[in-house]
Amino acid sequence: VRTLDDQVLASLLAGTAAGQRGAFRQLYELTAPKLLGVVMRMRHDRATAEDIIQDVFLRVWRNASQFRPDAGPAMSWIVSIARNRAIDVLRQRVPESLGSDASGGERIESIPGSQDAAGQWIDAESLRHCLGGIEPAHRECLVLAYCEGWSRDELGQRFGRPANTIKTWLHRGLASLRSCLDGT
Amino acid sequence: MTPDEADALAGEYVLGTLSARERDAFERALARDAALAAVVAAWELRLAPLALATPDVTPDPSLWARITAALPGVDDGGRIADATIADRPVVDLQDWHRLRRALDRWRAAAITAGAIAAGLTVAIALQSVVKPTRAPEQYVAVVNRGGNEPAMIVRVDLTSRTVTLRPVAAEAPAGQSLELWYIGPSQQPKSLGVLTGDTKRLPIPAVFNGSDEVVARSTFAITVEPQGGSPAGTPTGPVIYSGQLLRE
Repeated sequence: VRTLDDQVLASLLAGTAAGQRGAFRQLYELTAPKLLGVVMRMRHDRATAEDIIQDVFLRVWRNASQFRPDAGPAMSWIVSIARNRAIDVLRQRVPESLGSDASGGERIESIPGSQDAAGQWIDAESLRHCLGGIEPAHRECLVLAYCEGWSRDELGQRFGRPANTIKTWLHRGLASLRSCLDGT
Repeated sequence: MTPDEADALAGEYVLGTLSARERDAFERALARDAALAAVVAAWELRLAPLALATPDVTPDPSLWARITAALPGVDDGGRIADATIADRPVVDLQDWHRLRRALDRWRAAAITAGAIAAGLTVAIALQSVVKPTRAPEQYVAVVNRGGNEPAMIVRVDLTSRTVTLRPVAAEAPAGQSLELWYIGPSQQPKSLGVLTGDTKRLPIPAVFNGSDEVVARSTFAITVEPQGGSPAGTPTGPVIYSGQLLRE
């Protein structure tokens, strides 16, 4: 069963696809604060992050008709567009100093419970459980990469390992995560 | 590429750990390979709760203006007959959140289907059976089309004895008018007038003097009529939007 929030966002995307600016504006108001939070956590300053969000919404306006409600929740679709843009910009620039002080463990705790999740496709409880079950260093790499956009090189510096080792860790972490999630 | 390799690569693409060059190459493969795209989508869904857990950051108010300034012109392919209605900045957010909370409560109770009399056979988008916990004073109907964006929000306030009509994104075909009808238990549609782009406040129709049950069974429908409204006093054109009144 989908949550109402997802239905609302999917409706607003349908309206946006039909060229309704009112729907587009409502979509912006409901999703932009979360998207800006996501992009800024990926170590973009506010000015860059707002440029990214502007680009994201122009893409949403243009591509709203490509959204398929049966393929997943609307919020996940929009978040993916924003994260992709944020990563593109990160990978174009020289890696900077590593400023994060939060640990991957704390971030896992902040995953919202399933009642806040955007529908049955996204089972936050299972993700939290499965992340908790994988090798801590692998988990930390996955979470820092996903949430803060860390590259393999940056992770390698943090853990004192070559980038190739980090790549192996990431692949192992992903494989454990997938088998745990798909098995639950 | 084995399935495991594809999965690892797609996972890294979603994590964002591919280098710029690997990312470009992967995106080129993605554009040609629907199966690979499905693997990416699966990773996006698995990991999305991590992103949704991020605290909100309020954008600068100028950001929306920048976005609209960069939009291409409004589509003039006939889908939006009245750009001023389509561009209207819809429901204010406070209303919207209240509405969402109310709809959340109703969601579980929902689902009746039915045809409405006088030749109006409409799919009711939002219906509900509400268990009253107190004497209700306010009712609201979200008038929409097949689950799409609300076209109009109708609020009935029994205290001030007014009906407020707030257009959201109703689209009138060129040269015609949209007319709002109230359909009570008598099933005889009663015109509440032709829609304009503005929020309108009307005195309450006499039928709302009835019981809670009467109010709870009320439906609103919007039909396409000749310019200025139906000359007959009853609906003549197709129903394009409808919604049932719900206790707020």
